[in-house]
Parts: sequence; C-alpha cells; structure tokens
Amino acid sequence: MKIRVFTAILVCKIIRGLAKLAGRGSSLPGKYALKICPDILSQLKLPELSLAVTGSNGKTSTVEMIAHILRSNGLKVAYNKEGSNQIEGVVTFLISDSTMGGKVKSDVVLLEADERYSRHIFKYFHPKYFVINNLYRDQMTRNGHPEFIKSVIGQAVYDDMTLILNADDPLVASFGKGREGTIYFGADNLPSDTKTHEGIYDDGKYCPVCKSPMEYEYYHYNHIGKFKCTSCGFERHAADHSLTSTQEKDGKASITIDGKYEIPVFFTGIYHCYNILAAFTAAVTSGIAPEKAAESLGGYILKSGRISDFTLGKLDGRLLLSKHENSVSYDRSIDVVANDKRKKSVMIIVDAISRKYYTSDSSWLWDINFEKLCGSDVEKIILAGQYCDDLAVRFELAGADPDKTVYFTTVQEAADYCAHNLDSFLYVITCFSDKEKILSIVTRRELS
Amino acid sequence: MNVKILYLYPDFMSLYGDNGNVRIMDRRLKDQGFEVEIIKRTVTDSDIDFTDVDFVYMGSGFESNRNIAAKHLAGFKDALVKAVDDGVPMLFTGNSYDILGKGITTADGSFVEGLGIFGFTFKEQIEKRYTGDVVLEDCAINERYVGFVNRAGVPENNEELLFDAVKVIGNVPMTKDAVRKNRLLGISLIGPVLLKNPKLAELFVNEICERKGVKAKDIDYPHSEKSHAVTLKALMEAEL
Repeated sequence: MKIRVFTAILVCKIIRGLAKLAGRGSSLPGKYALKICPDILSQLKLPELSLAVTGSNGKTSTVEMIAHILRSNGLKVAYNKEGSNQIEGVVTFLISDSTMGGKVKSDVVLLEADERYSRHIFKYFHPKYFVINNLYRDQMTRNGHPEFIKSVIGQAVYDDMTLILNADDPLVASFGKGREGTIYFGADNLPSDTKTHEGIYDDGKYCPVCKSPMEYEYYHYNHIGKFKCTSCGFERHAADHSLTSTQEKDGKASITIDGKYEIPVFFTGIYHCYNILAAFTAAVTSGIAPEKAAESLGGYILKSGRISDFTLGKLDGRLLLSKHENSVSYDRSIDVVANDKRKKSVMIIVDAISRKYYTSDSSWLWDINFEKLCGSDVEKIILAGQYCDDLAVRFELAGADPDKTVYFTTVQEAADYCAHNLDSFLYVITCFSDKEKILSIVTRRELS
Repeated sequence: MNVKILYLYPDFMSLYGDNGNVRIMDRRLKDQGFEVEIIKRTVTDSDIDFTDVDFVYMGSGFESNRNIAAKHLAGFKDALVKAVDDGVPMLFTGNSYDILGKGITTADGSFVEGLGIFGFTFKEQIEKRYTGDVVLEDCAINERYVGFVNRAGVPENNEELLFDAVKVIGNVPMTKDAVRKNRLLGISLIGPVLLKNPKLAELFVNEICERKGVKAKDIDYPHSEKSHAVTLKALMEAEL
C-alpha cells in the first residue's frame, strides 16, 4: 500500500475525530485527504454493491429509503447524509467507514450524488447502479438549466454502470437511449393525471433527443408523463417497476407497486410516490426480494419533515415546505392547497432565496403556477419577506384579487396580521431557507 | 387602439420566467388604454410577420434551443432588420441577445450564424455556467439596472456594449453589457427584467405610445419601484 494513501486515511480519520468533537461539518477531513492523495477515491476498496442517487428533487428521501430497505434486510450500509454530497464529503464518509488499509467495511456503499459534482467523484470509482430520479428547473442560479445538468451528469455516466431511470421524465429517460440493461421505473395512468399540460412552462414540449414536438398521452404533473416524439420515435420506455395505484380511505393512505405490493404511506403526493418507487426499484435491482422491499418501506416513516402543523393564535395551519428556485416543488404545494376544500388562506414567504449563497434572483416566481392558487377560492393571500414586492407583481399578473392580497416585509408582521384578522385554515408555503422565520413564531403541533 | 406584441419562441425560449416580461408589457399597455394582442411564433411556424408589430420580445433558452431558434429566425432576418430600422421597440434578454451579433461559437466548436445587427460574437463552453447577480449602469442617462446573468458564453469583443457592469456577484466575466440600435435593446439579464427595472418597462411603453402618436399616461408601479430599490440596495451592499 502506498504511503500517501495510508497517510491520507490516517489524517482524514484524525481530523474527522477532532471535527466530530468540535461539532464541525464533514467536508474538511476529506479535503485534507484529497490534498495528500488526490486519487484517494480510486485507492479505496469498495464493496461489490454500490449505488448512487441523483436528480433535482428527492435525493435525500430516496437515499434514506434505500438505506432503510437494505438495512432492514440485514445489510450494513454506508451512506452520506445530506450536505456531504460533494467530493470532500464523499471522501470523508468513505474513509470514516474504511479500515486503515482502505477497505470499506460496509456491505453497501450508497451515495447521494450532487448533480454537478458526480462527474468529479465518478472519475475515481463507478457505482454499480446509478439512479436518476428527475431533472427539473432547480436552483438555476447555480445549476444553469436542466439540459446543462443533463450534460454534466452525462459526464458521470460510464458504460460499466447500470442506470436506473425515471421512465416518465423525458430528459432523464434519454440517458437510457442505446443502453441495454437499463432499468426503468414509472407511474401507470392515474386518476389524478391530466390529458393536457398544466403549468406555466412545458419542458416536455420538445424532444430532448431531436428537438421535434412531443405528444403526451397523459401528464402526471408538469412534463412528467407518457410522452412520444412525433419525429425520432423517442418515447416513454416500458417500466420494470410501476406505481399502479394510490388509495386513500378512512384516513389511511397507501400506494401499490407492480399491482401487488401495497405500501402504507403518510401522504400520496406524486413526487413522494416517485421517491418510494425509485427506492423500491433500486433495492429490488440490488437483489432484495420485492415483497421484502415493500414490507420494509411500509414500516418506514418519512423523516424529512416536509409538512409541519402548527397553531397561530386561534388559527390552525400547515407549513408545506417547498424549494425556492424550484417551480415544480411550489406547484406541488399549490396542488395541495387547491385540492383542500376548506375555507383557507395561504401565506407565501420569500425572504432569503437560498441558505447557501446570496442571490436576489426571483425569476423562478414566474415559472410557478400561482394562477392555479389564485383561482382556487382562497380567502386571503399573504405575501411576506424581503421580496414581497416581487411576489406582489407576480400575484397581480396571476389574477389575484387585490382586496384579498396583503404584503409584509417581515414574517412577524405577516404572522401578526394573520393572528388578528383571519378565521380560516392557514397554509404557509416557503423554503428551508425561510421556514424557521415562521416556525419560530407559531406553536408546532403533532401532524394530524 | 390596438397594439401587437410579437412574442418570439415562447415555448422554446422561456427558460427563466421570461414570460414575465411579456405579461408586464401586456399589463402596462392595457393600463395605457390599449387593446393588446399577443402574437406567439415558434420554431414550428413557417412564417413570422414583423409588419405592424409594436413590440417584439425574445427570452432565454437551452443553448441547443437557442441555436435552432437562431437558424429559424435567420429565415426572417430581412424583415426583422427592417423592423429594427423602422424603429420598432424590441427586447432580447438572456442568451437570445447573443444572436443579435455575428454569431456564436458553441461548445462543440461549431459556429451558429447570428443576425449580424451588431458586430460582436460569443464564445461558449460547457464545463461551467457563468452565473451571478449584476448591477449595470447606463452612464448616458445615469440609470442603474439590476438582474441576474446565467449563460454559457462570453462576448469576444465588447466595444459596442453600452452599460458598465458596476457590480458582479458571481463568476460572470463581465465588464460591459447590452446593445442598442434604434429602439432594439439586447441585454444579458435573464427573467422578468421589466419587473425589477421599471424604468426599462416605462421606456418601452413610452416608445410604443410615441410610435402610436399618443401621449403616455404617467402611471405609478410602486411594487416594481420597491423591488428595484430593495434589489439595488442589497446588491450594492453585498460583499464579494
């Protein structure tokens, strides 16, 4: 074994130990290891089974569910927690799990892979399975646009990997073109599907392969659905594993995969179903029996906390955590509000656009289907935060009734207004970067 | 009185909420008392008619889309250039601005012909994006514009460019930006530029009114003004 490999592992483990004591993050140890041995990732001995998950939305949930299934079935799994999906973080977590000789101890390595950084990580080792969940307009101030992300993910795809792809997302599915052995997952025609496209923009209008117009038999949401190019023949691939139905009765929700595996879920939001389906497909492809995978998923409670219930004065409310700079996530939250027939109001908070970097870009607000929200019989629309004026113009042009719309520069003012003036259920839609501003004011309740 | 907005490639070049610009113009022109007709033309249309249009808009797209749109639009180059010469107000934002020049050297080394209204060329790469918040200054009228740049290319010469980049937060290699000929404005900023820059919206409304022979009414847009002020202050104060 080369001395610098040994030194890199040693230094990484020592700094990791110290960093843990100091309560510090996970990228620093890996950074030092990379300085000592830039190709440390190719020097580690990985187990035979390794998986990586990427995509715009739901990486963390999907990875956590895959880990849960594999662990429930007796495998020792090493995976990177949220926030350490760049190369330094990956080095840290792999070395933390390896012997001094550089052998990873777990049975499975599972990676949440950043869309932009996978190409740097997979230069050194190739996961056996690479799951790509979806490609949306997401954080474009950093990510450019979905086609750019597709091209940089493409640089991380090698012939010896097996791709596990979302068959219903044309940009994702195009990775499978000409690749034998690719595994697909997708949803069958569901009652909630639409025949026509819904949303402000349509990223499925033109073929990602030849740029000719595409036709859809149905849409699950946005550009996710059963597509076919009118020119080159690129079309939705038959799925190896399918979401066949979702059901909700007597307050109990469940989804069915492949017509026979029923999995109880907390909520049947379609994006959530795709994460479960991706996790199920990845686990089954890795050798877990489907009934075992379904059983493990049934006992799994999603921890990521996308929904928080609260009281504010006399009001009951629910926070729907969405992602700024990600119109698809907002559109799904708007669906929840629009489908709720109660008397309701909704607060939108845009204060800090990102928690990771500075930007004042609010262009993504114009990609969100606020028209649907404005047309859905909402009592009051409360626009809050530093960018409430950007929201105000957007809502005005979305057709919001000026008498029903109020704006506040601070979340405190907005919350005070709600507590004193509203008597309806209150939905709050905002992002990780702004959620504490409302959660620190309201009283949290157990989810009901 | 009727005004016609020609919205170029709305389903093909509308990547960053660019639709907002057309909607803002639509609203402001209605506020002026016009009936507004929005004509949408895209890559599957065999004709684009520039006669009798009062405002032309084109936004950003994937570079691959922009290249196809550039080739499509080249088929109507003479009509477009004539409209520019006739003084039709036009706004090209984001990477649709690139095609106003001589052309673009794309990431794979091929050259996409531009409309040749200006002399600049762009050179693109695919390894990274140039992104950042910027403040541009039009020294001639002492006006500042705010917005975001998100592009794959850089201009290879910037002699004709009008505005100074007085602040760039991000990795955009930009010192100058924007071109103007008659009432055509090309600018790198993406998205609803006319929201955060009400002065530009006002400029276009005034130009359209002037060409229609009516006096523009003075209308306040306080949210837009405040959005501009909040963003300008935040960007000027932001540490690099």
